Amino acid sequence: MDMGDRDKFELENKNEDPMNYSPGMSSDWRFGGSNLTNTSMGLVSVGNSMAVSKGDLIGSSCSSASMMDSFGPTLWEQPTNSQSLGFCEMNVPSNSNTVSTLGIRKGSPGSWRNGTDRALDMYWNPPNSMSKGGMFLPNVPGVLPQSLSQLPADSAFIERAARFSCFNGGNFGDMVNSFAIPESMGIYSRGGGMMHGAQDILGGNGLKPVSGLQSQKNELSVGEASKDASLTVEHGPTDGAPLKNERKSESLVRSHDEAKQGVGNGGSGNESDEAEFSGGGQEEPSMLEGHGGEPSAKGLGSKKRKRNGQDMDLDQAKGASQQPGESAKDNTEFQHKGDQNHGTATNKATGKHSKQGSQASDPPKEEYIHVRARRGHATNSHSLAERVRREKISERMKFLQDLVPGCSKVTGKAVMLDEIINYVQSLQRQVEFLSMKLATVNLRLDFNIEGLLAKDILQSRVGPSSTLAFSPEMPMSYPSLHPSQQGLIQAGHPGIGSSSDVLRRTISSQLTPLTGGFKEPNQLPNVWEDELNNVVQMSFGTSAPPSSHDVDGSLPAGHMKVEL
Amino acid sequence: MDKTSKGIQTLSTHCSYKTKFAFRFLRSLMKLKKQHQPISSSSSSSMELIHKRSQRIKMLAYSSIAHAAGPRRAWSRAILFKLQSRARHHYFTRKRSSLDSKTKQKKILKNKRVMRNHNIIRAGSTSRVTRETKQMKKLREIVPGGKEMDICSLFDETAHYVKCLSMQVQVMQAIADRFSK
Repeated sequence: MDMGDRDKFELENKNEDPMNYSPGMSSDWRFGGSNLTNTSMGLVSVGNSMAVSKGDLIGSSCSSASMMDSFGPTLWEQPTNSQSLGFCEMNVPSNSNTVSTLGIRKGSPGSWRNGTDRALDMYWNPPNSMSKGGMFLPNVPGVLPQSLSQLPADSAFIERAARFSCFNGGNFGDMVNSFAIPESMGIYSRGGGMMHGAQDILGGNGLKPVSGLQSQKNELSVGEASKDASLTVEHGPTDGAPLKNERKSESLVRSHDEAKQGVGNGGSGNESDEAEFSGGGQEEPSMLEGHGGEPSAKGLGSKKRKRNGQDMDLDQAKGASQQPGESAKDNTEFQHKGDQNHGTATNKATGKHSKQGSQASDPPKEEYIHVRARRGHATNSHSLAERVRREKISERMKFLQDLVPGCSKVTGKAVMLDEIINYVQSLQRQVEFLSMKLATVNLRLDFNIEGLLAKDILQSRVGPSSTLAFSPEMPMSYPSLHPSQQGLIQAGHPGIGSSSDVLRRTISSQLTPLTGGFKEPNQLPNVWEDELNNVVQMSFGTSAPPSSHDVDGSLPAGHMKVEL
Repeated sequence: MDKTSKGIQTLSTHCSYKTKFAFRFLRSLMKLKKQHQPISSSSSSSMELIHKRSQRIKMLAYSSIAHAAGPRRAWSRAILFKLQSRARHHYFTRKRSSLDSKTKQKKILKNKRVMRNHNIIRAGSTSRVTRETKQMKKLREIVPGGKEMDICSLFDETAHYVKCLSMQVQVMQAIADRFSK
C-alpha cells in the first residue's frame, strides 16, 4: 500500500520484463490468439492485432509493464471483483494444471485480502513462468476444447477488448494489447482503469468514511471472491463452466458497456462500433438513451451492484455510478496523451494517487467530469484545463462577492470587479486617513499611549486587544461603510468569545450594552458616553484578573483623560 | 460541510490576525513615538511633519498587517518585500551622497516607466482591451504583488487581502478613536 512497497514492486516487475517478453511467451500467446480466432468467427483481425501489438510490446516493454503494475493494485482493492473473478476463472481452466491452480489459490486469497501488489505479482507469475517454461504450449490445445463452452464469451471478450483499444485512439489500445498477455488482461486493464476512476473519486472527495466503507466492502467482497475462486478451483473447469459462463457474460456486458461509454465520452466518433455493440449487449437501450452520460452510468452502476449481489450501500452505489465516468475520463486522458510513455506515466501517477488518496490533482479532474459529459464539447486537454480554470475563477469570484459588501446583489463580472476595486481602494484610503489621524493624535497625546499600550500588551496576552479594536468602534466617522463594519463587529464577537474564555466571562455582561449601542447609531451622544464608560469598565475588568496593580494605577489616568 | 468548516477556520484566523495586528501595530507606534518625541517637540507640528509621520504610520500599519498575515500569503510577502527594499533603499540613500541617490532614483523611475509601458503594450497586443481587462489590471495594481499572479490566485489573494484590510481599518479606527478623546 505504501510507496516503498509499490516501488519495490515496480522494480520487481521491471526485472521481470525481459522474461515477460521472451519470444517463447509471445509466440505462445499468439498461438492462443489464433486458436481463439479459429473458434470464433471474425476475430482473426483481433488476434492479429494482438500479435502485432505483442511485437510492439517487445519494443516498448518497460512502460507497458509498469502500467500493468499501476493497474493491478487498484483492481484488487476494489469491491467489484466479478471481473477479477472472471479473470481468475479464465486462468484456472486455461492452465488446468494442479501446479498453476495451486499457485493461483495461493496467490489469490493473499492478494485479495491484503490488496497489495506483491500478491498480484505472485498471481501473475505462475502463468508467465509456465509459459516461459514452455509448459503452457502443450496445455493450450487440451484446454481449449475443454473450455470451448466458454470460448464464445472469451472471444467476445477479446473483441471487446480489441474494440476498447480501438476506441482509445490506438494509444491505450496498444498498451492494453501489449501488456495484455491473455485476453483477460484486457478486462483486467479495463477494470484497472475503472477502479482508478473510483479511487480517484474517493481520493478526490476525501471521503474517509466512504473509503473505510469501501475497505470493509473490499474485505467482504474479498471474502466472496476468495470463496468463489475456491469454488471454481474445487469444482474444476468442467463443473464450474456454466457458472463461469454466466459470470463472464455478465462481466462481458458490463465491460462492453464501459467501452461504449468510453466511446460516448471520448467522442472519438466510432459510431459504427457502437452500433455493433448495441447489437451484442443486453443493456444497450438504456445506454443509447443515456448517451453515455451520467444517468446511464448510474444505471450501469446499479446494475453492477445487482450483479455483484451482496453488499450494496448508497455510498458504494454512488461510487459505482461515478466509476464508469471516471474510467471513461481516464481513457480520454490516454487519448490525449500522445504517446505510450506519457500514458503510462499518468497511469502510474493515478495509481499512486489512488493509493495514497492524495487530493492534489484529483479534485479538478473530478470537477470537469460533469462538464465534459456533453457531446459537442471540445475534449482536448487544453480546453479541459481552461474549463477547470474558469470554474475555479468563478468560484473565487463568488467567494469575493460574499466578502465585499453590496456586491452580492450585483450580477456581471465587470460590475463586480468594479465593486471589489472600489471597496479595496476605499479601504486603502481609510488606512491612509487613519494613519494621518493617528499621526495627529499621537502628537497631541503623548504620554497616554504608553499606559494604554502597556495595558494593551497585557490584554493581548490574554487575547483581548481585539476587544479594544471593536469596543470604541463608532459609527460616526464612516457612515457609508457603517453596515459593513457593524457586520464585521458582530462577526467578531463569537470569535473573540471562543478565543478567550476568561475574557468572555469578564466581558459577557458588558458586551450586550455594547452591541446595543452599535445597533442604534442615531443616538450618538448617549451611546458615545455609554460606550466610553463601558470601554473603561471593560479595561478595568480585563486587566484586573491578571492582577497587575501598576496597570490598575495607570488606568484611572486614562479614565480621567477620557472623561475630560 | 467543507465550507462551514472553512468559515469557522477563517473566523478564528481572522481573530488571531486581529490580535496579532493590534499588538504589533501598537508596539511599533510606541517605538515610533519614542523615536520622534524630540523632533515633534522641537518643530511644532508643521504639515510636512504630520504628513511624513502619517506615511510612516501607514507603512507601519501595512508592515504589521503583513506580519500578522504571515508569509504564506502572496500579498503579505509582496508588502514585506516592498517595505524591505524601500528600507534598504532608504538606508543606502542616507548613507551615500545625495547626488548618487538622485541618479539612482531616476534610474529606478525610468525602469518603472519602461516596465509599465511594456506591460501595456503586451496587454494590448495579446487581448483586446475590454473593460474587464482594464479592471483586472487595476486590481493587480491595487493588490500588492498582484502583477505576478494568475487570475485565480489573484482573486484568492484579493479576498484575503480585503479581509485583512477591513480588519486593519477596524483596529486602526479603534485606536484612533481611543486616542483622539
